[in-house]
Amino acid sequence: MPLNPIKSESPEPLLSPALLAKLESMELISRKVFRGRMKGERQSRRKGQSVEFADFRNYVAGDDLRFIDWNMYARLDKLFLKLYLEEEDLHFYTAIDVSSSMNFGTPTKLHYAKQLAAALGYIGLCRTDRVKIEPLDGARTNAAPVLRGRKSLWRMIEYLESLQPGTNCTLAEAVKSFCLRNTGKGILVLITDLMDKSGYEEALKYLVARNLDIYLIHVLSQEEIDPDLTGDLKLVDCEDQDIAEISVSQRLIDRYRQTLATFIEQARDFSSRRGIVYTMTSTERSVDRLVSRYLRQRGLVR
Amino acid sequence: MSWINTLPVWQWIILGLIPPLIFLLYFLKLRRTPLEVPSTYLWTKTIEDLHVNSIWQRLRKNLLLLLQLLAVAMLILSCSRPGCQGEQLVGDRFIFVVDQSASMSATDTLDGLTRLEESKKQINTLIERMKKNDTGMLISFSDRAIVQQSYTKNHSLLKRKLQAIQQTERGSDINEALLAASGLANPGRTSDRNSNVDVQVAEALEATLFIFSDGAVKSVPTFSLGNLTPEYRPIGSVDPPNNVGITAFSINEQMDLGGQVQVFARLQNSSLVDSTIDVELYVGEELQDARGAVKVPGLGSASLQFELTDLMSGLEKATPIRLKVETPDVYLQDNQAFCILNPPRVANVLIVSDYNKYLDLVTKTERVRKIANVQLEDRSYLKDKVYLERATLGFYDLIIFDQCSPDQPPACNAVYWASIPRTEGWHTNENLTTTPIVDVDSSHPLMFAIQMGNVNILAGQTLTGPQGSISLIDAPAGSVMMIGSRAGFEDLVIGFPLLEYLANGDTSINTDWPKQLSFPLFIQNVITTLGGGARFSTSRANTPGSIVLLKTQTPVDSIQVQDPVGSSTKLIPRSDNIFSYSQTDQSGVYEVRSGSAADLDQMFAVNLLDRLESDLAVRQELKLGYTEIQGKTVTAEARKDYWTWLVLLALALISLEWYVYNRRVLI
Repeated sequence: MPLNPIKSESPEPLLSPALLAKLESMELISRKVFRGRMKGERQSRRKGQSVEFADFRNYVAGDDLRFIDWNMYARLDKLFLKLYLEEEDLHFYTAIDVSSSMNFGTPTKLHYAKQLAAALGYIGLCRTDRVKIEPLDGARTNAAPVLRGRKSLWRMIEYLESLQPGTNCTLAEAVKSFCLRNTGKGILVLITDLMDKSGYEEALKYLVARNLDIYLIHVLSQEEIDPDLTGDLKLVDCEDQDIAEISVSQRLIDRYRQTLATFIEQARDFSSRRGIVYTMTSTERSVDRLVSRYLRQRGLVR
Repeated sequence: MSWINTLPVWQWIILGLIPPLIFLLYFLKLRRTPLEVPSTYLWTKTIEDLHVNSIWQRLRKNLLLLLQLLAVAMLILSCSRPGCQGEQLVGDRFIFVVDQSASMSATDTLDGLTRLEESKKQINTLIERMKKNDTGMLISFSDRAIVQQSYTKNHSLLKRKLQAIQQTERGSDINEALLAASGLANPGRTSDRNSNVDVQVAEALEATLFIFSDGAVKSVPTFSLGNLTPEYRPIGSVDPPNNVGITAFSINEQMDLGGQVQVFARLQNSSLVDSTIDVELYVGEELQDARGAVKVPGLGSASLQFELTDLMSGLEKATPIRLKVETPDVYLQDNQAFCILNPPRVANVLIVSDYNKYLDLVTKTERVRKIANVQLEDRSYLKDKVYLERATLGFYDLIIFDQCSPDQPPACNAVYWASIPRTEGWHTNENLTTTPIVDVDSSHPLMFAIQMGNVNILAGQTLTGPQGSISLIDAPAGSVMMIGSRAGFEDLVIGFPLLEYLANGDTSINTDWPKQLSFPLFIQNVITTLGGGARFSTSRANTPGSIVLLKTQTPVDSIQVQDPVGSSTKLIPRSDNIFSYSQTDQSGVYEVRSGSAADLDQMFAVNLLDRLESDLAVRQELKLGYTEIQGKTVTAEARKDYWTWLVLLALALISLEWYVYNRRVLI
């Protein structure tokens, strides 16, 4: 019996020129202000050099004399140092689930995830953020490159295209490995189908503990949302070869839809309780529409 | 409600096993199609609570299983053939004789069906009423009989053969059908030379003979029913339906009116009330003449006459003439009649005689000169090479042999005066002395307007002709003038001479006929009918189903005959260069073309023109031999079967099941 007919290679490019043009005018928004690593375009908690005044503090020996407020000294006869807000870069992480279950749908959920990662990554690159796209494979592949600047677009695309499905480890293990490898603070977009029999809760808890600004994008294929199945079937899980025997009936289909709705509701509830922004999407919804409408509504981009 | 067991026990057992099998298969579901999915996570969760449901809870909501079991139940039930019991036929052998003659195409039945269709319907009902082991035979007849199906117990085969019976345009003759029917019922007897006792060759098997006909059949004077029990079912309405038909149609040249060409038609009304009809005459496809409001009295007839003299002068090729009754009635076949009008042609006539002054005189009239080139020769000419060549190739249209007969019959029509042809079937019988003439067949074209009452014959001989010969003049002792056919030609034989040749070379008068007015008229009739016979192809000549013999002017390898429907048949000639065409099943005009030539060579018309067929009154009794059978109009109900409805219901259930399964309405 040939396996899933819905599995197919998508010839669609990750980013279209039209989308690129649209993305250039966008900006990633963090709900939190983080410390960056390098000089960038975002406000940092650090005080530093910029045109935006932040505070005064007493002069201590060794301070740069250029920042002494001489007017204050003239009035109060005390040395105060003017402090300015520092502008630094932003860490923008994208974690993509590369388990076998992501290799389903038309286009595949993985391809969709890559497109989304590329779109968000490009927004970050345009704003000289530190963009890092990591596959959730339990650190089985080489570390992902850190990308910065618009010129890194093609490296990002190449890297994304090199990602292959088929790494089957639990979501919790993979996220744990991700957290250990990436210590920076910033925005994390987790793209996954949450189809993990051991549960997704533990994985999200790891991320919450990292105090990141987390966006969970739950990708499902249309075949999963509205299965078009008939007859007596032996469903084989592509990851663990688990078998579920079903006789498709309207009652069963209704029941499945009910279960899926409950599953999505639980994921949304779990996420919102922990400050994670949850977005469910179908592979049939265009990346353009997702980024420019849904993610903008949820405050990830501006 | 009654049931008929249609299956043996073992088949019932197999049928009985089907529902439990469906039941088992439904739960076993041995074949599941494997399908890879991203994750069984949600599916497992979904079916978890379904697994805890008991088997009976599943069943309760399983519409598919219910539908399948219901459909099978319907099919099983239909095998027991439920139905309402109708009357059964008494007896075990039945012969169904159905009339398929032209009159059976009348649509005067209650349902508006043709009489043949109504017969088929009634026979179908009778077949359904036959018991399982009853045997049936099916015979159809028109002017000949066809055993459609000999004795069989296969009732469905009988029904199939019944439906295959086609309407014909022929006349009716039930004789052959009765002979075929009585074959097994009244087997022949054979006699033993050594004893006086006749022995029956086979055991007589009694049978019931059903005759479905309108009764318009030729009389059956000599048939004995023997072991046949007849039942006559008259088909058609009791009151004679409204029908006016053409029963005679001919073209004649009126000698007494200066050679006028006239069309005669006779219309017959078979209903009790007077009818008023419109009649149209077509020459080719063009309307030539019409008569409106022609009144035909009830159970009577009317004559019509049309002038065609003007048309004759411009006639260059053979033209079909069609007479049509425009007013529709229940029997359409007799509403049209056809005839062929050929262009005038001078006939080649040879008279072989040792100076017969009467023949010489009568063929020198102006009228005869117009229509024929007459060549007078003496008997020695029969040995001449020129004669042999011309007679063989058909140069002459007519040869009159006066008191002589050639060795080989000529390839044309011939008149034998006081001699007989040397072909099989012609005999002279007793010698006559001074005989009067008692009867003349004035309906024959040869005897048209011939009065023979005052003609005396001194000496002559009575004649016997081959089968099919017609006597034209009868003396008390027998026929003295006969006409018979010979391979497409006609021989007119006259049993008395005009002159007697005495031994001293003188002649003496044998009859006073040459002195009567009827003599030149008769010679003119002979020359126009036999000599220029092709001039007006008489409509009587060919009836549907008859064999038409065709002859071309020059020998050809093949001819094409196109019937009125338009289908062509290729014919190859017989050894005597004559083409025999038998597919004359339809009335109308047939066209003949030589070989592959596109030009029309000749035409001939086929008409039924049968007064018996046109008379649509249904005979309520049928006389077979000495037995008169009264017609029975029986409308017994046949058994009504319900199994077809059950099968339809089963099909509907299966369709519903398919819909439920595919649309997942509710399972």
